[in-house]
Amino acid sequence: MLIRRAFDICVKKQHVFKSVVSSPHSTLSPLNLEGGGGAILKSLSTNVYENLAVEDWIHDNIDLQGKNILFLWRNSSAVVIGRHQNPWQECNLKLMREHGIQLARRRSGGGTVYHDMGNINMTFFTNKKKYDRMKNLNMITKSLNKLRPQMDVRPTERLDLLLNGHFKVSGTAAKLGRTNAYHHCTLLCNSDRALLSSVLKSPCQGLKSNATPSVPSPVKNLLEEDPTLDCGIIMDSIVTEYTKQYGLDHHIILIEPKDEATLPGISKMTQDLQTWEWVFGKTPKFSVSTSFKLGYKLSSAMVTLNIAVKNGTIDSCNIKLPQHWLPSEMCEHLASHLIGNKFCPSETTRLTSALLRTCPQSEELHHKWNILCENVASVM
Amino acid sequence: MAMRTVLACVSANFPKTLSLLPRAAQRPAYWLAWKPCVPRTFSTASRLSSALKFTDKHEWVRVEGGTGIVGISNFAQEALGDVVYCGLPEVGTKLKKMDEFGALESVKAASELYSPLTGEVTEINTALADNPGLVNKSCYKDGWLIKMTLDNPSELEELLEEDAYEKYIKSIED
Repeated sequence: MLIRRAFDICVKKQHVFKSVVSSPHSTLSPLNLEGGGGAILKSLSTNVYENLAVEDWIHDNIDLQGKNILFLWRNSSAVVIGRHQNPWQECNLKLMREHGIQLARRRSGGGTVYHDMGNINMTFFTNKKKYDRMKNLNMITKSLNKLRPQMDVRPTERLDLLLNGHFKVSGTAAKLGRTNAYHHCTLLCNSDRALLSSVLKSPCQGLKSNATPSVPSPVKNLLEEDPTLDCGIIMDSIVTEYTKQYGLDHHIILIEPKDEATLPGISKMTQDLQTWEWVFGKTPKFSVSTSFKLGYKLSSAMVTLNIAVKNGTIDSCNIKLPQHWLPSEMCEHLASHLIGNKFCPSETTRLTSALLRTCPQSEELHHKWNILCENVASVM
Repeated sequence: MAMRTVLACVSANFPKTLSLLPRAAQRPAYWLAWKPCVPRTFSTASRLSSALKFTDKHEWVRVEGGTGIVGISNFAQEALGDVVYCGLPEVGTKLKKMDEFGALESVKAASELYSPLTGEVTEINTALADNPGLVNKSCYKDGWLIKMTLDNPSELEELLEEDAYEKYIKSIED
């Protein structure tokens, strides 16, 4: 028996619902999924790190022999990059900071995506032998087809889902472990497309990297095609199709990712996904070569910046500026101190503020130094 | 911006908690066994692989001068598809047998790599940074992944000889 509930979800406010697995009279025991078949799980959280941690937890802790698990989750605004990607190359980090949009690195491969509450994430867990991404995508398109027969959604060879043969509504990524595998994909129902486009455009110039690049595609929301749809209706339809395909009971287990009793070890997994070392430090080594014009009063100069970054940390740094504008010793001083620092604007600003005390006390040089440092930090 | 969303929810008739089958720590693991009936030719590799030992996760180890060289087998690289990125550990990383030490990203997925031995990483194949396809083109030679010390040489005896590995592949393909 399905219970339908309507929720008001605002950007700033979220309702948290008690997992129906829990009983007020007993402590939660670890998540148990016995018997053949599988299960359908839905997250109570809209925190991207918590939800990615649930994926890790299921992958590491559940025996998927003979089992199929579908995990449904949505996140408040976040950009999620693939395991071997470069966030500086893939998105506008400054804009994300201004809008409070989180950045996460997932453990599967693939490209960069923007998540918000208008996007549905689906993770299909199987053991390695049963790993079949096209099968999962066909199941999704079958369910959408039943829901709206006139809507044209089809998978491509690249395992995207295209609407009307042109607009991407879903992207896929996957991870293969020792014995388990998962395939996850997005589904754009009612996302903020304007924000999506602007955050997925990197302002970084002169970046050279061998990180896996994204393949940008024009996107569209399913609701733009059919305004009578919403995330709930679509998720319902997918659940129905999944239960039919795998002979499961039509019920959904709600997962609270903060619950250490149900998911022992999940807190550490969630923490690990948020560390700077994972999100930024895992970036394959890259270099930035760029020039920009600095101006102070009536004088200006072109500065050339060459920075090599390894593990998210500045490995080498070269700043070239005409001697008449700023003494070269000051540039070398800055460059040498940047080495070993994180490629991060706030860290750089902290460093340069501290270094300012060691500079000559001329007001003009102070101003020029500040302008130089601001511009160097803005590259990050 | 407020959004009204209807979420289909949970059945009220919850079954009693379903019990979890804990994953057996010792279960034999297949690495990438969903591609049956792909003809496999070992003949071109066998001359190179004469000193190779294999894991059931399709990694190989060759010992040269006390150092273990690690890579993935032809079976594995075929199943992976074109490798687009090799995520390898830092030199100096200490690994225990079966520790995850990196990942290979291909069009199929990000596939984790597991250490066949206990030891310390002494070298990584930097050629793979610009040419990850070497793992596909020359998995036993130029596409090696890491070199490591052998802290427990007896672990080598637990690995499969080439013939045994070939038999193993045939058995999982059937």
